[in-house]
Amino acid sequence: MKTGIEKHLLHIENLSYHYENDEPVLKNINIDVNQGESIGVIGTNGVGKSTLLKLLVGLLLDYDGTLEVVNHPMIRENVNHIREHIGYVFQDSDNQLFMTTVGEDVAFGPINYGLPQDEVNRRVDEALRLTHIEHLRDKHVYKLSGGEKKLASIATILSMEPDIILMDEPSVALDPQNRRHLINLLNDLAPMKIIASHDLDFVLDTCDRVVLLYEGEIIADGPADEILRDKELLESHGLELPIRYYYQEI
Amino acid sequence: MSTIDNKLKAISNINTLQQRDQWVNHLHPLVKLLLTFIYIISVVSISKYNLSKMLVFAIYPFFCFNLADLNFRDAIYRMRLILPLVMVVGIFNPIFDRDIMLYIGGNVMANGEHVGGLAISAGVISMLTLMLKGVYAVLATYILIATTSIEEICYAMRKLHVPQILVLVILLINRYIYILGEEASRIMTAYKLRAPSQKGIHYKAWGPLVGQWLIRSMDRAETVYESMQLRGFNGEYRYVADQKTRATDVIYFMVWLAVFAVFRFTNVVELLGGLFV
Ligand SMILES: Nc1ncnc2c1ncn2[C@@H]1O[C@H](COP(=O)(O)OP(=O)(O)OP(=O)(O)O)[C@@H](O)[C@H]1O
Ligand SMILES: [Mg+2]
Repeated sequence: MKTGIEKHLLHIENLSYHYENDEPVLKNINIDVNQGESIGVIGTNGVGKSTLLKLLVGLLLDYDGTLEVVNHPMIRENVNHIREHIGYVFQDSDNQLFMTTVGEDVAFGPINYGLPQDEVNRRVDEALRLTHIEHLRDKHVYKLSGGEKKLASIATILSMEPDIILMDEPSVALDPQNRRHLINLLNDLAPMKIIASHDLDFVLDTCDRVVLLYEGEIIADGPADEILRDKELLESHGLELPIRYYYQEI
Repeated sequence: MSTIDNKLKAISNINTLQQRDQWVNHLHPLVKLLLTFIYIISVVSISKYNLSKMLVFAIYPFFCFNLADLNFRDAIYRMRLILPLVMVVGIFNPIFDRDIMLYIGGNVMANGEHVGGLAISAGVISMLTLMLKGVYAVLATYILIATTSIEEICYAMRKLHVPQILVLVILLINRYIYILGEEASRIMTAYKLRAPSQKGIHYKAWGPLVGQWLIRSMDRAETVYESMQLRGFNGEYRYVADQKTRATDVIYFMVWLAVFAVFRFTNVVELLGGLFV
C-alpha cells in the first residue's frame, strides 16, 4: 500500500492459481480496484476470467499470493464476511437459480441475511423493477427462457445490495433491448463492478477500465477506450476490435 | 417432449398447488406437519382386525381434499407408483388367516351356527385394514405436500428441533431431483438429435451417458450449493420468514387432535350405533 491510508476495495498481488495438478491458469496477477470503479476483464475462451472471479468470492481458495477483498485477506475464516459484500452472477444461469419461483429466488439472499419481511419485499420489488422482470415474479424458474434466466440471476444479486458486483458474461443470451437495459442498469449502479466478458462492445459500454488477460497473465490494464481501440494489442491476443471501432477502421 | 420433461412438469405442478391461495395453504406449516404425523401414527397403530375404526379415519383425507379443493383423481394419478406398493403388503393375509370373523347376511341357528350368507375371514379383514393404512398414509402425505412447500415443511421440522443436517439433506435432495432430471433430459435430447433414426438409446451408449449424467449432475449440484452459499446460506435454513401462530391454527389443530383421539381410543361406530338403537 503506497500511502498507508489508501484502502482498496480489492487488492490482488502476485496472485497465481492452478487447478489441482494442472498447469497454472493465472500467473502473477496484480490488480487494485477502488470504490465505484468498473472493470472489464477480457480475454479469449479458457484464459482464466471465470477462475479469477471465483477466486474473488472465495469459491477457490488455495491460491498463491495476496488477495484482499473489502480489506480482509481471502481465507476460509473470512469467506462468509467477505461474501456479504459481494454479488456474483454465474456464467451459467442454471446454476444461479434454485428456488421455485423467480420472486422466491430473488428473496433468498435478503432472507438469509435475516432482514425483516418488509425490507425483503422492498428489495425484491426494487430488484425486479431494475431488471424489468416484474411480470416474471411468480413464474417458475424451470419455465424461463435463457435471457429471462439471466435477468432473474442478476435480480437475485441486486436484492442483496452488494458493494461489489462480479458478473461472468452477463450479456450472453440477452436480446438487444434487454442488453441495452442491462447496460443502463449497470451504469446507474454505484457499487464496484467487475465484468468478465468477450463481448467487447458491452465492456466498452459499461466499464471505464479494462484488464486484458492472455495465457494466465495480465497483458494490459488501463482505460477502456484506450485498450479497446488498440487493434494490434487485441488481435495479437486473440480478440477483435469492438464492432463500432471495427467499422470505423474500414 | 420426453418423459423426463413430463416428470419435471409434474413436480412443478405440485409446486403450483402449494402456491394456491387456499385457506389450508395458509395454515401454519407446523400445524400441518404435526397433524399429518399424528394422523399417520393413529392410523398405523390401529389393530389390524379393526376395520370399522379404520373406516372412520377416512374423514381426514375426505375433509382436507374438499377444504383444500384438491382433485382426488389427480392425487391417485400422481401416487400411482406408490399406491400399489403400499397395497400389496397384506395381500397374502387371506390365505394364511382363515378364521371366520363375520358373516354378511344369512341366519344364525339356535346352536350358534351360521347358515347361508357370506363368510368373511380374519385374513380378508386384516388385508383391507393394512391396505387402508397404506392408502391413508399416502393420502395424508399428499395433502401435506400439495398444500405446503418444501421450504415450509423444512421450517416446521426445524421448529420441532429435527437436526439441521437432516433438514438440509431433505431440502437439497428436493433441489437435486430437479437437477438430475434436467441434466438427464438435456443429455437425452442431445443424443436423440444426433441419432434421429434410432429408437431409444443404443445399449452401447448407456455406459458413457450414465457416467456423463452423474458427473454433470454432481457438478451442477455443487455449483448450485455454491450459489446458495454466495447468497448468505450457511446451513441454517431461513427461507421462510418466521410465521406467527394464529388462533385459527391452534383451533384447527386442537379440533383434529380431538377428533383423532376420539376415533382412535373409543369405538365411534359402536357409540353411534348405540345412539340409534
Ligand atoms: N474445475 C476445473 N478443473 C480443472 N481445470 C479447469 C476447471 N475449470 C476451468 N479449468 C481450466 O482453467 C482454464 C480457465 O478456465 P476459465 O473458466 O477461467 O476460462 P474463461 O476465461 O472464463 O473462459 P470462457 O471465456 O470460455 O468462459 C481453462 O483452461 C479450463 O480448462
Ligand atoms: Mg468463463
